[in-house]
Amino acid sequence: MRTTPFVSVLCAVTFAACKPSNQQQAPGQGSAPAASAPSASEILIGATLPLTGAESRIGGFFKEGYELAFEQATQNGGVSVGGKKLPVRLMLLDDTSAQATAASLADRLINSDKVNFLLGTYATNLVEAQSVVAEQNAIPYVNGGGAATAIYKRGYKWVFGLLAPVELLAESMMKWIDAEQQAGRIPKPATIALLWENTSHGKDFRKGVTDFANKGGNYKVAVDESFELNGKDFSALLGQVKAARADLFLADAHLPDYITMQRQFVTAGLCNKVISYGARGSEKQAAEALGKKNVEYVISAVWWSPLLADKNPLAKKFVDAFKAKYAGRLPEWYQALGFETARALFTAIEQAGSLDKKAVREKLVAMKVPSLLPGGALTFPAEFGQQSHAPFVVQQNLPDGSAPLIAPPDAATAKGIAPNPNCK
Amino acid sequence: MERFFELLIAAVLLAGLYSTMAYGLGLIYGVLRIVNLNHGGMIMAGAYAGWYLHHALGIDPYVSLLLVTAVAFGVGIVIYRGLVHRLPRGAAGGVQSLLLLFGVWLIVRNVAYLLFTGNDQTLRTSYSTKAIAVGGALLSVNRIAVFGVAVAILAILHLVLTRTYVGKAIRAVAQNPDSCTLVGIPVERIYALTFGLGTGLAAAAGLLGSTLFPFNPSFGAAELLKSFVVVVLGGLGSVAGTAIAALILALVEVFAILVIPAYLTAAVGFVLLVLVLVVRPGGLFGQRVLG
Repeated sequence: MRTTPFVSVLCAVTFAACKPSNQQQAPGQGSAPAASAPSASEILIGATLPLTGAESRIGGFFKEGYELAFEQATQNGGVSVGGKKLPVRLMLLDDTSAQATAASLADRLINSDKVNFLLGTYATNLVEAQSVVAEQNAIPYVNGGGAATAIYKRGYKWVFGLLAPVELLAESMMKWIDAEQQAGRIPKPATIALLWENTSHGKDFRKGVTDFANKGGNYKVAVDESFELNGKDFSALLGQVKAARADLFLADAHLPDYITMQRQFVTAGLCNKVISYGARGSEKQAAEALGKKNVEYVISAVWWSPLLADKNPLAKKFVDAFKAKYAGRLPEWYQALGFETARALFTAIEQAGSLDKKAVREKLVAMKVPSLLPGGALTFPAEFGQQSHAPFVVQQNLPDGSAPLIAPPDAATAKGIAPNPNCK
Repeated sequence: MERFFELLIAAVLLAGLYSTMAYGLGLIYGVLRIVNLNHGGMIMAGAYAGWYLHHALGIDPYVSLLLVTAVAFGVGIVIYRGLVHRLPRGAAGGVQSLLLLFGVWLIVRNVAYLLFTGNDQTLRTSYSTKAIAVGGALLSVNRIAVFGVAVAILAILHLVLTRTYVGKAIRAVAQNPDSCTLVGIPVERIYALTFGLGTGLAAAAGLLGSTLFPFNPSFGAAELLKSFVVVVLGGLGSVAGTAIAALILALVEVFAILVIPAYLTAAVGFVLLVLVLVVRPGGLFGQRVLG
């Protein structure tokens, strides 16, 4: 039977498709040579990032944030430990965007390279896998790349997250929509078409929207569907959105799915009074891929924006330093979170006055320091599993290509526009 | 009724994409009895080739389609002559060919990482978001074009395989290579030609895919799996069966949304595959000798 050998490789290929997409490392991004055990004369901090593979673009952004934080610490003579400045060194490895690699490299950093502390990787699934290793080894693990509440609901003691939960992202967006509804610019009740990626990120987004929608009776969720990551055809799903004649189109998607879905959304002639893809929307790459016109008035909620520099001195300091280091380029939230993650750990070490893991953990638990994040303060509340609940900022793409902050009111740099003027 | 019509159109257009992805894989297995694991690599390479020609030289992807297919055809012949040719013929070389072509795929993918990094790329043309109205539904110009190319490939493959000397030779070699050697058909040349053709079709599919979705060097893995499903459903070695299987798979996936959650629709194809293998192991249209 000819089919048999053909099918026998199906499983092998399925496995291969899930393997690290690349073990190769770009020059300058490679793993550092195995270090000897750190002496008390330096602080060795381990981290992995997805420098290759599916998340490599964002992994590179986090690397920029980490590097800037370490560079600044070095320029300041190191991190102060018990009145003595110690040089701080980053041992950064490439986890190739693969869960298994992220976990095994974390284990290597802790048990072979003997790092003092760990900084986290990017992407919820990688942080989820890696944080288990940190917890098992009782080492402080501070990450700015894992937002899903599932990571922080496990009762872990050594895991700290700077990304506020995606539920809060959805809530921030709904609050702005609610204000527009109260002002009579959005119908009451408003119907919602809710599409979410079938990941913990998407589930949190869905929960945030539905919890808010179910509160006052001013919203009705007409479509509530999930989709697989890296989808190729959303036409059937968008057909449901069209049939529902929803007022609000709220989706949660990663960048490739945002581009594919929005392209099909526009092609199908859809238009809603409010359009959002969760944290995606203002990316330059999306505007280039879809055309500026096709991303107009899309709203997105993000963990940080360079526009915060107008109102937050720490954000301004970071933006200036970043632009100086990277030829005038503006940072995105990824670099800011990378930078702030490293800074949070340095602060905890300084406050602890020692490299004792327990002491540093205690300072992280009790941390309340000024921050470049929205809200201006960084904490790791115990009631939320040591996950920061810093507020989100909501932004909206405008026809001139800018994406000003439209919410919350204390951070807003412009007034949001609703309903979408492009809908006729 | 309107919704049914829209879903039907969506399924037909999706079938166009699926069939272009699967033709090359089916053709190579049908003749050489080799599972070309580098099919995914060539899909990805085709996507990058189309993107680069558009990005750097401004050549429309549908204009560069022939060029990319021709170059990939040459690459396929080189891979065959340089690597695959050295393996035992037919089933005897099965496992070795899997390992060899998987290795080639890894190399192709890592070269793409080195050249283009892991960033997602998108190919945007002036008609990327254009649509035309058909029976009240708006249809993407790009998707219609992909469907048109799929139908054209089917027609050309059918004509080549049934009306030309080379096509008849390919079918004869697929049927019995030893007898072909006895009657003077250059079997090795036919193998090389078929491998080149299958590789060219994979690159063409990748280029067409790049007009629809963002892609990066890991592009092609999911497409290879989908191609497997289509080829096995259609019956290995059947070009027309491949097209019909693509349509069946697309119909099942698209209409499944009416009865199951959307995120499960991608798995429907694999369920269908298992069912077909249990009930009709030779595929829906049985084993054919191409055409």
